Amino acid sequence: MAVVTRTPSEGVVLKKSTSSSTFTRVSRYVVVRLLTLFATVVIGVYLTIMIANMGGYVDQIMRNEVADRITQSIAANPAMQQLDPNARKKLIQDRIAAEEQRLGLDVPIAIRNFRYLSNALTLRLGRAINMTSDSGSKQVRLIILERLPATLLLMGISQLFLFFSSVFLALNLSRRYGNFWDKLVVALSPTSAVPAWFYGIFLILIFAAVLKVLPFGGMVDSPPPSNSFDYALNLLKHLTLPALSLVLSSFFLSIYNYRTFFLIYSSEDYVEMAKAKGLASRDVERRYILRPTLPNIITNFAFLIITLWTGATITETVFLWPGLGRTLYHAIGLYDIPIIVGSTIIYAYLLAITVFMLDFVYALVDPRVKVGGR
Amino acid sequence: MKFKQLYPILSLLVALSLALAACAPQQAAPTDEAPSAETQEPSSAMTEEPAMTEEPAAMPKTDRHGGWLDEIDVSVVAGDSAISQLQAGAIDLYSYGLASDVYPAIKEAGLQYSQSYGGSYSIMFNPAVFEDASRLNPFSNRKIREAMNWLVDRDYLNQEIYAGGSLAKFFAITTQLVEYTDLIDTVRALESKYAYNPEKAKEAISAEMTAMGAELGADGKWQYNGAPVTLIFLIRPDGDGTRKPMGDYIANQLESIGFTVDRQYKTSSEAAPIWRGSKASEGLWNMYTGGWLPSGLTRDERSQIQQMYLNTSVQAVDPFISNVSDPEFQKLGDDLAQGNFSTPEERRSMMERALELSLQDSLQVFLIEQVQYSPFNDNVAVTYDLASGVEGAYVGPYNLRFKDQEGGVLKVGTTDLFTEPWNTVSGSNWVWDSNIMRSTTMGTGNITGTAGLMGDPYTGLAWPQRIESAELTYRKGLPIKQNLDWLTVEAVDQIDVPEDAWVDWDATEQRFITAAEKFPEGTTANIKSVVTYPADLFETVRWHDGSPVSVGDFVMSMIMGFDPAKPESATYDESLVPGLEAVLASFKGYRIVSTDPLTIEAYNDAYNADAELNILPLWPLSPFGLSGENSWQIFAISNLAEANQELAYTSNKADTLEVEQTSWVGGPSLEILSKYLDQAAGESYIPYEPTLGQYISKEEADLRYSNFKKWFDEHGHFWVGTGPYYLDRVFTTEKSLVLKQNADFVDLADRWAAFSEPKLASVLLDGPGQLKVGEEAVFDASVFFKDEPYSQSDIQGVKYILYDATGAVVQIGDASFMSEGQYQVTLGADVTSKLPTGSARLEVAVVPLPVAVPAFTSLDFVAVP
Repeated sequence: MAVVTRTPSEGVVLKKSTSSSTFTRVSRYVVVRLLTLFATVVIGVYLTIMIANMGGYVDQIMRNEVADRITQSIAANPAMQQLDPNARKKLIQDRIAAEEQRLGLDVPIAIRNFRYLSNALTLRLGRAINMTSDSGSKQVRLIILERLPATLLLMGISQLFLFFSSVFLALNLSRRYGNFWDKLVVALSPTSAVPAWFYGIFLILIFAAVLKVLPFGGMVDSPPPSNSFDYALNLLKHLTLPALSLVLSSFFLSIYNYRTFFLIYSSEDYVEMAKAKGLASRDVERRYILRPTLPNIITNFAFLIITLWTGATITETVFLWPGLGRTLYHAIGLYDIPIIVGSTIIYAYLLAITVFMLDFVYALVDPRVKVGGR
Repeated sequence: MKFKQLYPILSLLVALSLALAACAPQQAAPTDEAPSAETQEPSSAMTEEPAMTEEPAAMPKTDRHGGWLDEIDVSVVAGDSAISQLQAGAIDLYSYGLASDVYPAIKEAGLQYSQSYGGSYSIMFNPAVFEDASRLNPFSNRKIREAMNWLVDRDYLNQEIYAGGSLAKFFAITTQLVEYTDLIDTVRALESKYAYNPEKAKEAISAEMTAMGAELGADGKWQYNGAPVTLIFLIRPDGDGTRKPMGDYIANQLESIGFTVDRQYKTSSEAAPIWRGSKASEGLWNMYTGGWLPSGLTRDERSQIQQMYLNTSVQAVDPFISNVSDPEFQKLGDDLAQGNFSTPEERRSMMERALELSLQDSLQVFLIEQVQYSPFNDNVAVTYDLASGVEGAYVGPYNLRFKDQEGGVLKVGTTDLFTEPWNTVSGSNWVWDSNIMRSTTMGTGNITGTAGLMGDPYTGLAWPQRIESAELTYRKGLPIKQNLDWLTVEAVDQIDVPEDAWVDWDATEQRFITAAEKFPEGTTANIKSVVTYPADLFETVRWHDGSPVSVGDFVMSMIMGFDPAKPESATYDESLVPGLEAVLASFKGYRIVSTDPLTIEAYNDAYNADAELNILPLWPLSPFGLSGENSWQIFAISNLAEANQELAYTSNKADTLEVEQTSWVGGPSLEILSKYLDQAAGESYIPYEPTLGQYISKEEADLRYSNFKKWFDEHGHFWVGTGPYYLDRVFTTEKSLVLKQNADFVDLADRWAAFSEPKLASVLLDGPGQLKVGEEAVFDASVFFKDEPYSQSDIQGVKYILYDATGAVVQIGDASFMSEGQYQVTLGADVTSKLPTGSARLEVAVVPLPVAVPAFTSLDFVAVP
């Protein structure tokens, strides 16, 4: 290691200079990073808007759907059947015009796109076009907030359990490379090729249809229990199968991934050296294996946390779980752009903030990393 | 060695997989079996007794008021798991209709089921001659479209795609419902004429193609201008998924006779801009797999001819506009739609001819009438509407019960709940929400644009729900007939509207405009109905919050039909204007003749062919045709919120103002409505006081608001009705709700027990297996219901149709009544002499009165010289 000798006075100047340059470096990094991330979010959201309305083609689809829906509703109304054909035609046209206005189809698509974009960036989520929240609100904020707790509950419990159990078990397996359990995990890891909803169907079949010990779906019984404790227990009962299906679908592969990852670090020279020095295996794990892998684990964990936001569309559908995944799926089917954009912008901001924060976290947990350094 | 260690684990996995696979519900095997001669009627699905195969659940006399059940718990259940959940006892009834491909699974599971119509499928043709003259559109030729009827085997489609649970469909009118049944001989003869006959189709199409300048190439493909005749076929793979195999089958059939088919699989939203949105003559498509919603138990489907074929169709999109129909067909369709006929007989003959011409026009070739199934457990009794099923039956909530007990908690699953906010101006009209709303109402339903009658689930007629007497007067010359005797009917030369009848609304002065003001010269109406309500109406009928119903509720309902669509109103909503204009085009006025007993006259120019459906009672039911009831006070506080632009009844106005749409059951609306309830209670507020002040006292207002507040505090919502069940609790996010028995309901639980099950007829035909041409032959038909002879007084007619070996109709006639349930068909020597030697078929069709569904049977025999 090189040794630098300097006078005390030089040292003070140097310290100030170093401090100042660190501040400048970090500030410059923060500004550039934030601008870059913001630009990425803008581009990402605008692309989402363009994709969601298929470059304007959705307008054509919506106009036809509006015309069809209104025509059929009037055609099916017995009170309208004896109306003079011209009066009926005018009635249909008036209603179509009113509905197109309500949907904003009378405003050019480019203007609407920029309106969606600016509203999204300023988090003015606005109103849905067709969808309503379960309680009847059209505010995108309420539609999302209403479904958020259910999604966080399902995804949170399943994904956090999956994460922590995988890391814990993987670490253990990496110490016992080649034993029976290690081989079992390796052998079962291909089971993760099966999606969660598929496990869900089987679990429903076994535990709801055959054994009749757990419910088929939904978040609580109908009617829901009136006191909080019973409600919580009931919720837990309904949560079991969807959470289990999400865990099962990734469990072995996740352990396998982490176990392989830990194995690579376990075979580093400095780990062998530590073992040779006679350090306790717990210390070896903590200081020589976990510590250097921490940035990766933290990254995975951080992304896992924001992924909770997206829900699990098909699993939620199979279990009739009132989560955000189903909401987003319905919104896409109905071309409800404000909901699609609302959901996307929140995810985009969460992702950008996470990426931004991770740079600092890396520097904190790994001394080899320097914020803004090259 | 290591692999050997894995063997037990792998074996265990394999065993587990097999065990799991064994647990799976058995897939219904598609049937290849050809139906037997006796059962090959396309009508098999509807003529067999559907749900009530067991002894009717005749309940003993009861002193129970309101619904049979103590509680109904309704929740959202995925249709895929409905049968499993019923078997597991998680639910007792799945009220939403499942597609007919689950029919075998329901039967295999030993569940009961109801049947109803779920819409229809057709092939729609582009009838235009293409602008690009180098391209030939074969379907611009009516004769080729007509020949397409012979090219498709509807029974095959029904068996292969719908597990035999749906119906073959040939006409725009609903198969085996009122119109169809009334025209039974005509439609059966036409169905026989247009039955599957690919050789005939090929012959007819070849002749027309050649005449149009096309040539059949050496490769067996049609060519035009040196290029293959390519048909662009838009096939929908979405929805219930059945249009794709249907489209593929038809494409195969077309390819088998030399066409080149470009199959374009497109979803609804992808296909609509092409078939609906493009100009037909651009030639972007030739065929489309069309689908149409069910029209319910509609007794009058004469406008379907215009709507489904003609360029004057209400559909008003290019495939229709471009259709150049036969002038006779065009006139018939338009005349039928506009009611240009003066007697039922004239109407009937017009319909007969129009149906015949519709198959010659075939802008659409109808293929399948979808039948839906709602399964339920064996211990449950369910009354359902023959057309619109469990969720469409007005009488359904009254008769829903466990077979062997009064009371109990019934668990119902459906496909969704709270799809849109609930209010009776412009709230949710989804069938699953409406079904719940109807459970909370007096059972009255919006049948003909007004409220106050109970819909007959089996005939589409109407019965009085809370009416003491009713009179109908109509202008002579209108083709109106009376079916039931609960009303008196009279035809007169002219009906004058009285000067003091209320014909419109002045939103500024908040009073009704009278006929004298709007029509100073006087005006007349086509029909007048007079309804007298029971003398104890206002003592016996109470809202769920305990307040008695009052005249104010009736008048408020009238006002709300007008006021929000008037620009001067504080609650003006421009999206409601077109609807009011349409109503005012035929509406001629209401007149409250007396408030004790309540007697209301109604005048109108629009009329229905059935006298019962022309009775226009008022009831505090949605003035906009939705399913819920509305007390005057719920409108009062909702209007206050609307006037202050904090809520809006319609989604259009809510979007414009960027406020919430009014919901009486959940969401942010409740807090706002609660605030205005407090305000109204504090002021003893009487809405529209210049008018309603005559009917509502301050004391009544205080009582109403006080009871309403207590109700909200207890139940957490503002949904009150007068029906046999009340909405106890609502869980919007959990998508479930609880209905409880209304023990204060005015009627006993068996009020509509007569509608417990449809009296569907069964018929057996017996006769010689061989007859001699030129000699008389006699066949016996037995008509029965549950092994008992079907009463002659309940039968409109028993008809027979004699077909020769080619399916051509030789003779149509009426069977002779012999004794109860016994009829005889005598084929005279003159008739049998028309039969060519060989096989022949005699079909008997029974048209019962208590249900709109006919019964068929047929017998094949041999005619020998």
